[in-house]
Amino acid sequence: MSSRKPFKEVLREHKTAIILALIIIAGGSVGSYFVIDILRAQDPKRITLATTTSTYDSGLLDYLLPKFTEQTGIKIRVLSVGTGQAIAYGQRGDADVILVHSRSREDAFVNDSGGQIPYGIHRACVMYNDFLIVGHSSNPANLQLGDNITTVMTKLKLGMTEGHNTTFYSRGDNSGTHSKELSLWSLIAWDPTTAGTDYYKDVGAGMGDTLLITYNDANNRGYTLVDRGTWLTFNDTYTILNILAKSVKGEDILLNPYGVIPVNPVLHPHIKFVSACRFVGFITSPYGQALIDAYRKNNAVLFHACFGTCNETHDCSTTDDEIVIWRPYHSEFAGLSI
Amino acid sequence: MSNDIIDGILEAIRLLFTFDRELWGIIEVSFRVSLTSTFLAALVALPIGSFIGLREFRGKKTLSNLINTFMGFPPVVMGLIIYLLLSRSGPLGSLGLLYSTSAMIFAQFFLAVPIITGTAKAAIESVDPTLKETILSLGASERQLWWELIKDSKKSIIAGFLVAFGQAISEVGAVMIVGGNIRWETRTFTTSIVLNTRMGEFGMAIALGVLLISIAFIVNYGLTRLQARGG
Repeated sequence: MSSRKPFKEVLREHKTAIILALIIIAGGSVGSYFVIDILRAQDPKRITLATTTSTYDSGLLDYLLPKFTEQTGIKIRVLSVGTGQAIAYGQRGDADVILVHSRSREDAFVNDSGGQIPYGIHRACVMYNDFLIVGHSSNPANLQLGDNITTVMTKLKLGMTEGHNTTFYSRGDNSGTHSKELSLWSLIAWDPTTAGTDYYKDVGAGMGDTLLITYNDANNRGYTLVDRGTWLTFNDTYTILNILAKSVKGEDILLNPYGVIPVNPVLHPHIKFVSACRFVGFITSPYGQALIDAYRKNNAVLFHACFGTCNETHDCSTTDDEIVIWRPYHSEFAGLSI
Repeated sequence: MSNDIIDGILEAIRLLFTFDRELWGIIEVSFRVSLTSTFLAALVALPIGSFIGLREFRGKKTLSNLINTFMGFPPVVMGLIIYLLLSRSGPLGSLGLLYSTSAMIFAQFFLAVPIITGTAKAAIESVDPTLKETILSLGASERQLWWELIKDSKKSIIAGFLVAFGQAISEVGAVMIVGGNIRWETRTFTTSIVLNTRMGEFGMAIALGVLLISIAFIVNYGLTRLQARGG
């Protein structure tokens, strides 16, 4: 090893210089990451969408967004979180636009009463699907598909409080589905969280995990509320679970509308409002709406587009004022076919 | 269930050798973030840890307890703190660094510093005191003593570095919050595993887990070889 010694000596002689050079190289390359990330954050054609797990995890956005990017050159970074978290991101200015499903909280998000500055402006209803109540096929609470929703909730309540043959698993995570579930209990003027029953389990988990827990119910008597998108993702895996209750004709309560809202640039001046509005334009345009209707997962329809027709389908009202606001944004996507 | 695991392993092999572009992007982000944060943490933590290990001073016990506590700092809480700092409504929001690999490096840096500090301190303290006396009796300056002790406890220090790296690459709570698990940008092995589980793609989740463990093994093996050679 004759070549080794001189090299070691060189190292020893210039130790300080070498260590300094290494630190500068390391510092410089790490520093350049930060600079690049800071510069990229300013790019007006790169926006952040905070949305619920049900729109992203179902694959819908991975199917829709490349078509938007192709047309406009705008890149969308998707944060797939719960509705509560997505709304918080919007309020704090960490997202440019939100796509969520909790009507009461969306209304609070755009609320401008009493001169307060709203967090978001010009909410548009984009699409809807429906919630289902699924459970073990043995169906101890004896739900029937034709039952109206108050009958369903009453049967579940009696199964928990009197029959002791029904366990209901609640998301308990402040998500859109969780809010919906609580509103269903309020229909029969009963609050399971304070009723002191051991048959109501607050699992504090996402939809997929909650379904898994329901499926694994030791006594085959688990029930839960699920959005159709997530259900279609898992129904092949959890084969002993079945749809035991769903929306009946003339009843809107189990419908699940999704709203899109750009964050208010008055409140957060750094918001890339123009790009965010072009995205809302895309998703509410006839082209975007046709894409949503065409999307299939396991050969099943996941979402029904409804911009501008919501009022007829159910109470998801995009106001006429807002329809007028979004129409001009559609022209960019006119003439495109799927 | 066992079928899912076998399918997952087969899928892992297939993905790796078909050079799936998304997968290689995930590997790149995971390793860039974890290695950068661990190296940066080592630059800061080694001098501090060895200093604490070498010197006696008032409050050393309390400081040591503090470091030991922070070695087990819950990553998800660190994630939340970094999120609140980098959020647009937070004090550093104007940088726009949230949901970037830089933000992930910050979070993992602060998680790794106590681990490397603690192990470096323990390593220096566990050096045989007679060695310290011998070096000093030979007329070494404090700086020379310090250097000699670091060289002597090199193995433990590298082990501490490996623990910190292992924690960084397998961590999910903090990188999920500050990185946002954004496709093509901040998606790592662990956040991708969470996403695939949520989507019901259990085979894919297992495949990613198998790859993560295999690659982490190779990195550990390489560093351990380095440790053995250096010793």
